Amino acid sequence: MTPLAGASTQGLVGESDLSRAVDEAAECTALQPLQGNLFEIRFRAPEVARRAQPGQFAQIWVEQSHIPLLRRPFSFSRAQPREGVVSFYIGAVGEGSRRLRRFSPGDSARILGPLGRGFTLPDRPGRSVLVSGGLGAAPFPLLGERLLERGEQVVWVNGARTQSELYPGELVPNGMAELVQFTEDGSQGRRGRVTAGLLPSLKGADRIYACGPNQMLAALFALISESAFEEGGAPQLEVSIEAPMGCGFGTCLGCAIPLRPGAGGEGPVVGLCCRQGPVLRGSLLDWERLLQQPEHLG
Amino acid sequence: MITITPPFDPRVDLGRGLVLANPIGVASGTFGFGFEAEALVGITHLGAIFSKGTTAVAREGNHPPRIAETAAGMLNSIGLQNPGVEVVARDYAARWAQWPVPVLVNVAGADISEYVAIVQHLDGVSGVSGVELNISCPNIAHGLDFATEPGAAARCVAAVRAVTTLPLVVKLSPNVTDIAEVARAVADAGADAVSAVNTYLGMKMALHARRPVLPGLGVGGLSGPAIKPLALAAVAKVRRAVGIPVIGIGGIATTADALEFLVAGADAVQVGTANFNNPQASREIVEGCLAYAEQHHLQRFTDLRWQEQDHPGSREPSLDVD
Ligand SMILES: Cc1cc2nc3c(=O)[nH]c(=O)nc-3n(C[C@H](O)[C@H](O)[C@H](O)COP(=O)(O)OP(=O)(O)OC[C@H]3O[C@@H](n4cnc5c(N)ncnc54)[C@H](O)[C@@H]3O)c2cc1C
Ligand SMILES: Cc1cc2nc3c(=O)[nH]c(=O)nc-3n(C[C@H](O)[C@H](O)[C@H](O)COP(=O)(O)O)c2cc1C
Ligand code: FES
Repeated sequence: MTPLAGASTQGLVGESDLSRAVDEAAECTALQPLQGNLFEIRFRAPEVARRAQPGQFAQIWVEQSHIPLLRRPFSFSRAQPREGVVSFYIGAVGEGSRRLRRFSPGDSARILGPLGRGFTLPDRPGRSVLVSGGLGAAPFPLLGERLLERGEQVVWVNGARTQSELYPGELVPNGMAELVQFTEDGSQGRRGRVTAGLLPSLKGADRIYACGPNQMLAALFALISESAFEEGGAPQLEVSIEAPMGCGFGTCLGCAIPLRPGAGGEGPVVGLCCRQGPVLRGSLLDWERLLQQPEHLG
Repeated sequence: MITITPPFDPRVDLGRGLVLANPIGVASGTFGFGFEAEALVGITHLGAIFSKGTTAVAREGNHPPRIAETAAGMLNSIGLQNPGVEVVARDYAARWAQWPVPVLVNVAGADISEYVAIVQHLDGVSGVSGVELNISCPNIAHGLDFATEPGAAARCVAAVRAVTTLPLVVKLSPNVTDIAEVARAVADAGADAVSAVNTYLGMKMALHARRPVLPGLGVGGLSGPAIKPLALAAVAKVRRAVGIPVIGIGGIATTADALEFLVAGADAVQVGTANFNNPQASREIVEGCLAYAEQHHLQRFTDLRWQEQDHPGSREPSLDVD
């Protein structure tokens, strides 16, 4: 394992396996506009599709020109190895994602992936609860499918501020034990935040997977840490987090994330979202410092 | 009559026995310590690897966000996150010693004694093929900015020169009144080569939030294609000022970009930001430059160099260029 460029994480965190990543010329096969600024885009990229695991991401080079310069990171929303297709669930928020929104079938982009560390899949079937907020729903169709294939019982608790930001129910994989939708304004599903109405769904969970705004993830971590769970203790929590990325493969040091100091370690510890993340055990993150970070301004 | 063309020699001699197999290197801070992305990019095609800036003790780096994209460029404010020279000299150099590609350690200090201490630590370490003194990092607060004052730059280089026989490259900042003056000063002080340029100071504003995107004072280092014309001008100016090898850096993303720096007077180049969006950029550029040399029957890459005397006109660039 390569040592970290930066303060040591004392063996707490593994690193992504870059030897599995490929930079593939990909052709857009479909673009499905959804409500609001949301869309799902599919690419033919057989090598990437074969390798992608839930929670991993791709760096998409939208246009091989100087503007926009950098690739954009997006989680795999689906990966179908047999069809050789990967899909992304994206919100058009800025230049890069808006250009992707204008793609038509036949248009091409380069897709570098799979990158980062994904969710840990269970060895033995049990009960998984997926918790997402807003665009954080993106990795869960793929995770849900792969869990269901393994005989897992899957509950998905999904929320958004309002209906136009909510992952569409009709795209949710079949076979989930339960799908609970929340909107903060009550425009669809139950009214409120996922973290407020979550506790009943966590009953009997062996593991919890979460993706969404840092505030939501921090609240979830606190909720799990503070709740009394019966024998077996609290379920394992894995979260997927974001950081601005220059490269996506560990060379620019742009994607620093605050980690909890390791046992015996002194002072703060930084990790790289693109190599140690984007999925990490909740207990590895320094939530206080993560919440102090200013919102990303683009 | 039969003319025999001598074989093409792609090598570049940087002095003190450091000979690069080809003129293409990867720039400090854009390729980690060489091994991070080795599985993805490979290293054997490279002429040289310039490591991430290394300080005397480990640094955690700056608060996020550390990067922001701009038109055809990016700003970075990494803050020299690195594990410190001890780890570099012990653990990383041991790997480099097995590699066919020379690694030069990019060195950053807060004062002359720190530069000297770091280089002393690297001197004689197997796997360290040279040092690149970064007297120009915009992202840590210096009491004294070595890059901008030729006298201070020369004192720093002379002090380092006195403690090492390693090949010594000095990396110049473009954020100065006259880069030629600094280049001359460090060459006179014993630099074996100079590299130019480091990033340009820049800022990006988030209008909706009415503040800069980057934290602190909001300033970062601008790199990428946006700076290429500025870097070319700087390299041409440095070339006129010094006789030692010049390594050109700034916005190189394609074979043509690299060759243009050789025309401007560079002996070698470094690929930086382009490694991020196109991990294969350095490989494509090495292959492209070699193919170009063959196609154009070059004997050395320096054949490309602009012969200024063929272009009469003002040798000193005038200010009223528009
Ligand atoms: C590991 C990872 C997985 C992601 N998965 C998804 C996903 O599945 N679906 C989705 O819609 N979005 C996802 N994002 C966020 C997505 O990368 C940004 O929305 C996107 O980069 C915005 O680019 P832009 O050009 O549209 O916006 P701009 O604001 O124009 O982008 C300017 C710069 O800021 C960066 N940036 C802007 N917003 C973010 C952000 N939230 N996180 C990181 N960098 C940002 C961009 O990459 C770019 O370099 C993910 C981010 C990460 C780090
Ligand atoms: C993310 C990033 C980190 C950098 N870190 C260093 C560094 O540690 N030391 C240094 O001398 N230059 C550093 N640089 C500057 C580059 O080596 C190079 O001089 C500059 O980026 C211009 O080249 P480019 O336009 O090809 O990127 C860094 C640049 C970037 C983009
Ligand atoms: S994005 Fe470059 S190191 Fe993580």
